[in-house]
Amino acid sequence: MKSIFKHKKISAIVSVVPKEEYRFDDEYPAFKLSPEKAKRFKKMMSLDRHRIAPPEVCSSDLCLYGLQQLLKDGTLKKEEIGALVFVSQTPDYFMPPTSNVIHGKIGLGPDVICLDINQGCAGFLLGLVQAFLLLEISALPKVVLLNGDTCSKQMDKCNRISYPLTGDAGSVAVIERCEDENPIYVDIKNDGSRYKAILVPAGAYRTPASPETIKLNEVEEGVMQSEQHIHMDGAAIFNFTMDSVPPQVDETLAFSGDTRDSIDWFLFHQPNPFILTQMAEKMKIPAEKLPNNIVSLYGNCSSVTIPLNIAQNCAEPLKDKSLRVCFSGFGVGLTWLTMVMNLGPLPVCKIVDYQAG
Amino acid sequence: MDKPKFYEQLAKILDVGEVKPDSVLRDFEAWDSLAALSILAMADSKYGVTIKAEEIRSVVTADQLASLVESRQK
Repeated sequence: MKSIFKHKKISAIVSVVPKEEYRFDDEYPAFKLSPEKAKRFKKMMSLDRHRIAPPEVCSSDLCLYGLQQLLKDGTLKKEEIGALVFVSQTPDYFMPPTSNVIHGKIGLGPDVICLDINQGCAGFLLGLVQAFLLLEISALPKVVLLNGDTCSKQMDKCNRISYPLTGDAGSVAVIERCEDENPIYVDIKNDGSRYKAILVPAGAYRTPASPETIKLNEVEEGVMQSEQHIHMDGAAIFNFTMDSVPPQVDETLAFSGDTRDSIDWFLFHQPNPFILTQMAEKMKIPAEKLPNNIVSLYGNCSSVTIPLNIAQNCAEPLKDKSLRVCFSGFGVGLTWLTMVMNLGPLPVCKIVDYQAG
Repeated sequence: MDKPKFYEQLAKILDVGEVKPDSVLRDFEAWDSLAALSILAMADSKYGVTIKAEEIRSVVTADQLASLVESRQK
């Protein structure tokens, strides 16, 4: 489904990562990997390090910290916040919505919309779409889009495949109206028939938590997993990514009247460097235009990889310039979105370490 | 299909010096879900075909895998 949004812009991005950084070279003995297997895995996935939140730190804490920074440095005022949109698969509670919890912690007035969106990899872009739609409410000054996930808590620390690739992070983006038309082109697609490809089977209501569901099973050598952990069908995800994303990128570029040359940056969700390299090759996008470093630096942090990608790779040029970007987010659902827009200038676009208390 | 080339590419993925047509895939030390993913990627990028994880699991020898990929090529 395609749409054009006008007179909307992202005006600030702050991404927050735990200060606890762990290197693959230090961690792999815990995965029961032989040095040869570890070396192979490290090479295949360009593994280096990732950030893992301590047990008491939730996705919302990371997002809240980012929001507090924006309020503290005057980029945003409390009375400008008309909506809090919290996108996560690791909320604080099943109820109430975590956006409400954040609303209370910030101390906002009653005339604020609070919305939680259960999404992952496509979640930043879906959150942006939601923010654009909310800005149709003329009384709503600005939308604060919060993306956060602590996926490390959805797996066993000794899962030698998932754990090294994962990272925890949160981000805050301020979305508001602008004078310029600045058309934003987006395509949104879903395929729920393949929902099992990325699934946490138990712990909600289809299969409630029980002593059985919390038991660890060895699904493959060195891969321990419970029914309350993320189950990822790597092959199905690979095939989905290679089959569905390139055509959507082509369609969206045609929709916006762009070509690979007219786009400055292809800022994609980062599942892992291996898949992204395959995708860039298949789509004939030059590697310099498609940053592929977020997993190596921070891990795959679900919907936060895109804002991290922006802040890590484009903060400098975005300080005083506008860039033509093509975003693409794809994953759990299965859901995939591609968006073409002018991004920037973004005077506030950074990554900060989380500080507790 | 240039089968010797296919076995060479497979040997690289499985981190061994040589793969023979009758080599049993799961006997290789490097055989795991990541090796399967690399094979999917190779099938896609070098041979332009999509194969599923179940299909990789259902073949036993390198030759059967080569035939599977070859059968998908148009």
